[in-house]
Amino acid sequence: MDNWNDFWLFAVSALICWAVAALFSLRGGRRGFVCLLTTVGLLIFGSYIALMWLSLERPPLRTMGETRLWYSFFLPLVGLITYSRWHYRWVLSFSTLLSAVFICINITRPEIHDKMLMPALQSPWFAPHVIIYMFAYATTGVAALLSLWQLCKKQDHLPAIDNLTRVGLSFLTIGMLFGALWAKEAWGTYWSWDPKETWAAATWLCYLIYVHQRRCCPASVNAALAWQIVCFLCLQMCWWGINYLPSAQGVSVHTY
Amino acid sequence: MKKPYKPLGMAAGGIVCLVLMAVGAMLQYAVGPVRWDMLAWPVNAMLLLVLLLGLALMHLLRGNVRFFRWMSSLQAAVPAMVMCAMMTMLLGVTRQVPSGHPATDPFGITAMLSFWPFVLAYLWLTTLVGMVCLTRLRPAWQNVPFLLNHLGLFIALVAGALGSADVQTLRMMVQEGKAENRAVSRQHRVHELPFSIKLHDFSIEERPALSYMSDVTVETKSGETLRDTIRVNKPLSVRGWKIYQYSYDQSQGAVSDISIFELVRDPWLPFVYLGIFMMLAGAGYLFFQSGSLLKKERRDAVITKQRHNVITK
Repeated sequence: MDNWNDFWLFAVSALICWAVAALFSLRGGRRGFVCLLTTVGLLIFGSYIALMWLSLERPPLRTMGETRLWYSFFLPLVGLITYSRWHYRWVLSFSTLLSAVFICINITRPEIHDKMLMPALQSPWFAPHVIIYMFAYATTGVAALLSLWQLCKKQDHLPAIDNLTRVGLSFLTIGMLFGALWAKEAWGTYWSWDPKETWAAATWLCYLIYVHQRRCCPASVNAALAWQIVCFLCLQMCWWGINYLPSAQGVSVHTY
Repeated sequence: MKKPYKPLGMAAGGIVCLVLMAVGAMLQYAVGPVRWDMLAWPVNAMLLLVLLLGLALMHLLRGNVRFFRWMSSLQAAVPAMVMCAMMTMLLGVTRQVPSGHPATDPFGITAMLSFWPFVLAYLWLTTLVGMVCLTRLRPAWQNVPFLLNHLGLFIALVAGALGSADVQTLRMMVQEGKAENRAVSRQHRVHELPFSIKLHDFSIEERPALSYMSDVTVETKSGETLRDTIRVNKPLSVRGWKIYQYSYDQSQGAVSDISIFELVRDPWLPFVYLGIFMMLAGAGYLFFQSGSLLKKERRDAVITKQRHNVITK
């Protein structure tokens, strides 16, 4: 499992489970069956991550390909939570589709990197920091999808969007502060305005603005939905955009 | 009898932000970039006192002054956060000069952390957070999560910014078998430390993972000794200093007999940590609370549905 050779096997079987579950939920199938099938898919995909972790002898969180792996795992998970709580029939189709996109990228462009972790990344903070962030990305990703859906279809999903954003924001906060505590242990400064940190702060502020704006002006719904998209774009900048940003080239400890 | 005032709204927040930006630009032009080094102790302690007294005074006058009352409102907070987000994004898209160097552009945005509009934006946000904390500084359970988030942020921001001038970062080079008590600052000034570091052995491990480490004995002036291994991610704490494994003689590679340490002293760090841990607790609460809000929403939804059914029947 050092390389991505067996990845497609696990990924395709997980995707089949998720897709069948999504179809069933679209047609209003039994909720228990939909949840069970999605969970089976998650278990298959999760076992690949676990096997990869074991064979790499380090958490698979270092390369973009590896973080995409977590993202395609967390998306159906957040979809499942949203489905089981709010009973949106179509949310699993969305999360499956988005997850499939990331899986396809990983199948066609498996970025194979060596086993070595640079010394600064060998820390107990590493796994929680990145996993929490990936979960936050998935949660806010679903919130952004719901916002887009509501902007186009004029159905009311605001309670779900608000809750997902609150959950996402709490995880963004925890991920960011874990990062700060880790940076202090590794480099001696808890915040150095590295491009990744700068964009993480901007993203955090954007979601803070959303949460406060919803309280301050609950009537301006469209502004909130549009802002949700801005937040998500900012998040993309923080996640992978900075790898292509001229201002961040060669100065960020986070580009890889 | 008091006249009923029309409350100041979001527009006022926008105007304040624009004024702050203009003032920042003028200050940048008139006095040059923010000199963070001038905040070193005891100036930062005095500024903290001024800030806290100012906040307390504004809080006490909030019954009489509409503006002070408005400062703890969401209508003031949202534009301030938008301004900070925009300044932060600007920082994110401009290539910065290394810290301590002058800006290379005519405006000063390549040294954003010393750019007046950037600093004023965050100062304004911090002030508003401080004001809103004062309104909730009463012993009541519902204020606890609010204060964890807001007061935590206030403490972390204030301690981080004011304390930055007191942070000392030095580099020390030690040869195997020798002891050293002098270190060099970024400004190439030599500092004498209250302890010495003796390097017994520097080694590079490649298995199970790449790592380098120094086996050292630290001796303080009073004669106490401490033997330990310093590695990346595992600094050693001595008398308020943290000693980090920073580098080694890379021309010699794995057989290097020189180890380079970074020594950091940050007296305000405990306050920053206090703020960080408060925010962590607040974020944890936010997560669990969104679950209970959900239950309430569901209950409300069921009630609405029942009412709806009754009406349609």
